[in-house]
Amino acid sequence: MNQNTDLLTLRSVSKSYGTVPVLHDIDLSIKDGEFLTVLGPSGSGKTTVLRLIGGLEPLTAGEIRLDGQDISRMPINKRPFNTVFQDYALFPHMTVSGNVGYGLSVRHMKRKEITRRVAEALELVQLGRFADRFPAQLSGGQRQRVALARALICQPRLILLDEPLAALDLELRRQMQEFLKSIQREIKTTFLFVTHDQEEAIGMADRICVMQAGHIRQLGTPHDLYYKPNCEFVARFFGENNLVPGKLGPAQGEQRSIETALGRLVCSISDQPHLKAAPDGASAFAAFRPEALHMADATDSGNSFSGTIADLAFAGSSTVATITTGGDAAQRLRLRMPSRIDGSVLKSGETVSLCFAPHEGHLVLA
Amino acid sequence: MNALPRPSTIFLAAITALVAVLLYSPLFVPIVSSFFTISHGNVDWSSPTLATYVALAENHDILAALRTTLIVGVCTVILSVVSGTLLALYYHGRRSGRSFLQFIIFLPFLMPPIISGLALLIFFREIHLERSLLTVVIGHTVFVLAIVYRTVLMRLQSMSRTLVEASYDLGATGWQTFWRIILPNLSSAMVGGAILAFALSFDETMITILVTGTQSTLPVRLWAMMRLGFSPDINALVALILMFTVLLCVLAARFLIPRQMATERT
Repeated sequence: MNQNTDLLTLRSVSKSYGTVPVLHDIDLSIKDGEFLTVLGPSGSGKTTVLRLIGGLEPLTAGEIRLDGQDISRMPINKRPFNTVFQDYALFPHMTVSGNVGYGLSVRHMKRKEITRRVAEALELVQLGRFADRFPAQLSGGQRQRVALARALICQPRLILLDEPLAALDLELRRQMQEFLKSIQREIKTTFLFVTHDQEEAIGMADRICVMQAGHIRQLGTPHDLYYKPNCEFVARFFGENNLVPGKLGPAQGEQRSIETALGRLVCSISDQPHLKAAPDGASAFAAFRPEALHMADATDSGNSFSGTIADLAFAGSSTVATITTGGDAAQRLRLRMPSRIDGSVLKSGETVSLCFAPHEGHLVLA
Repeated sequence: MNALPRPSTIFLAAITALVAVLLYSPLFVPIVSSFFTISHGNVDWSSPTLATYVALAENHDILAALRTTLIVGVCTVILSVVSGTLLALYYHGRRSGRSFLQFIIFLPFLMPPIISGLALLIFFREIHLERSLLTVVIGHTVFVLAIVYRTVLMRLQSMSRTLVEASYDLGATGWQTFWRIILPNLSSAMVGGAILAFALSFDETMITILVTGTQSTLPVRLWAMMRLGFSPDINALVALILMFTVLLCVLAARFLIPRQMATERT
């Protein structure tokens, strides 16, 4: 498999239900062998993207290409993709092996061959002992793995997963994330994973496609999305962030200043040509992560300002401080620092001097 | 529910017991008296006997009526299950026309049987269809279709739509999806509906009287016997029909419990 070839391409894909548009002109390329996560709040159209690719819904406009061939009108049962449904959709009247072997038996494969491959698939998802159980006799995590085995036994080019972990409790969800990732590495099949949970997305994806209101807002690695969000929505939706509004100042090399209520802040704009090109005075936000913010000391030359600690919350490995800044345009900022066994160095109600380094701040246009 | 004070609980229990006795004790009278002989219009309680059942078994009219009832019942079940299932499948997920169709299907079930029976009788005469067992079967099917349709439709509606989607997604054709996914998930509802349909057909009297030819079913025979006077084998017949109907209802209930619950982990 070559990670650089496109397996599937969506070109100007739109979808409406009646007169209600749910997807606007989507362009998306899925690379062969990658784990791509489509992330978005509910109603963003992420599940619709998956259903269009799977063939469960017809397109309103645009086309879907597989290896360069248009498959927009290919019927669902002819597409070399398989889906893991949110409610698993296991057939209640069939045993685990009946469910897993279904995709092979409807293709009239020889019974002996089916038995062999079902055993293999169940071994892969560690359910060999449960072959003769019915779905109702399995736990949520086990059903999930049956659904996965049933999808991958047909050796699809692409596996579509529709929020498959949503119904599981937190601990099981973490285990399943690792499990899915390891299976994907083992069988080297392309996964398209839909979720609204950004932690899930960060933990599993090679690339993440952030959707909102039927548009793709940004597509990139989790690192890119976290440190170089290209719009306010991604900056706010993806991880905790501090956004301070202001007007852009002049650009200087890989940095650009912004005039805000906290004074003049300097942020990095490396590899983001659209920020270099934006006119002076344009509305924008200075964005910096809670863990980038720290107490200023004498040697700090970066973006510094003062604020009052309104609240301190202990969150295990880290402690989060809520900070209010003075002035007419008061801001609420969050600061995250490693917890210490002898208690926080900060005290609630204290006014402190804070700063963040220019290379740890970024800009997003408003 | 459990917060009622004690005196009112006792009061409610007493009312319940009274209602139960008043309403249901008459049902047990023929069963009990079927085991005793009747002389001079009075039940002779001194000597229990199976004589009434023996008399019943030797009554060829009744045996013939029983056979007719069974033939009509089986034919009605086959017709109503096939057409009820097809109708439910066709109208499942379809918005337009469904409520009108349901109204039509439920009409004969809700109308007084004498009206349904008369309507059928007039219809058969207009199309010159001779009254026979065929007309009885048609009459019964029209009557019980609502039960089968409703039972199957409810199961269809409780079936997750993603089951069908998953089947297609795994490469199955529409035909394979129907036979291997949809039908097996409907089968217990169809069996339950069939048993209820059979029980209804077994007891049906009014429509049968109106549309039958020369042959009579068991309830019609019973009714005819009553007109000639009360004979002891009527008790035995009533007792048998009662037990049979109860048995069918128990069976139907078993099949109509969703499969999920039946296969719950042990």
